[in-house]
Amino acid sequence: MNARGLRRYVDDLLRGRRPKAFAPDDFEAAQIRTAIELRAARQGPDAADAPDEEFLNGLHRRLAEQMAGAPPEPVPALNTTRRQVIVGTSAAAAAAVTAVSIDRAVMASQTDTPAVAGELKPNTGSWQRVASSSDVPDGRMHPFDLGSVSGFVRRIDGTPQAVSGVCTHQGCRLWFDAPDDRLRCPCHSTSFAPTGEVLTHQLPIAPKPLPALMVREANGVIEVFAPPRPDQPA
Amino acid sequence: MTAHNEPADPRPLRAVPNDGYTDWEAVYQDNAAWVYRTLFARVGNRADAEDLTTEVFLAALRPLRLTASVGEVRAYLRATARTVLAAHWRETLGREITSIDDIEQPPESEEAISTAPQRVAHVLERLPDNYRRILESRFLQGNSIKESATKLGISVANAKVLQHRALRLAAQVNDGGQS
Repeated sequence: MNARGLRRYVDDLLRGRRPKAFAPDDFEAAQIRTAIELRAARQGPDAADAPDEEFLNGLHRRLAEQMAGAPPEPVPALNTTRRQVIVGTSAAAAAAVTAVSIDRAVMASQTDTPAVAGELKPNTGSWQRVASSSDVPDGRMHPFDLGSVSGFVRRIDGTPQAVSGVCTHQGCRLWFDAPDDRLRCPCHSTSFAPTGEVLTHQLPIAPKPLPALMVREANGVIEVFAPPRPDQPA
Repeated sequence: MTAHNEPADPRPLRAVPNDGYTDWEAVYQDNAAWVYRTLFARVGNRADAEDLTTEVFLAALRPLRLTASVGEVRAYLRATARTVLAAHWRETLGREITSIDDIEQPPESEEAISTAPQRVAHVLERLPDNYRRILESRFLQGNSIKESATKLGISVANAKVLQHRALRLAAQVNDGGQS
């Protein structure tokens, strides 16, 4: 219980001042929440719900200073320590970066991107042999490279499926980690399910899932629909 | 590639991803307002909202990939704002007062920025007349306690007590509606 802390907090909200920290109990927290919503619902010229021009310009200047020290190519993730040092003009900002990294790890399991990217449908192409049927028993991940497209084919309940074997982040070639049943990117530790969904990543934004390839099986041969080889234009 | 290889209906060739931002300034200018408003709706005061907006952009811009689509950049900014707001409550009141939730709507939409007006309307219409009027006068219209007392025809001391009780009841109604 901290009646005084609560009264002061609400009073500061009403006067447009920065409220002071205290340790509220459950019910006081609920009252603060309600007071914030009431204040945020205010309309009209003193609503303060739109950012101040001066504030926006000041922050723009500050960001320009920060970004001027940036390398030409923005470094995606990984270099957390260095970023913390640069961002760390305020301890809270550094904490935010750490928190976001944690968020990223959590985000790996969330479906904020479509689970499977579309199917690769080249403008022109042909059915090209990637394996004989006997090379691809149920469950085995079979790599192939057609020059224009590389990927993996495997059989699920008898039906062949194929996904691209190129990481959707920066194009590194994926390898199949059989014990863990996932495709791994050697560049930034991204991993994909055999069906193409992103399983884990440590990038600021989740990379897209792997596109599926059109695949068919006939006369003991598995074929993928792919564009002509770059060195053999049709 | 020769002409007969052209597909029947070639899709137009686009220069650069037209769905993305060209530089960090474009990201900032396009998103600063909704990020600020999202935070203001959850802290209720300008000073905190400005500080938290600053933290969001200082933390988010440098690691941002510009190849990301506008939608991805906004989702990332909202996720950053969520962690910044959570840290703010941990540091100041030691518990989460408000949060930025996962929602279907795009982050820059009114529904995503704030549901406060709808929630407040829902609460106010369930309060006794005097309670509703003191909260409207103080919070929504920004009147002083003295002005509010005059409007309601009561003493300043009574207005203070009325506001105190009204906020308690509103919080009970609000939390009841939340779960």
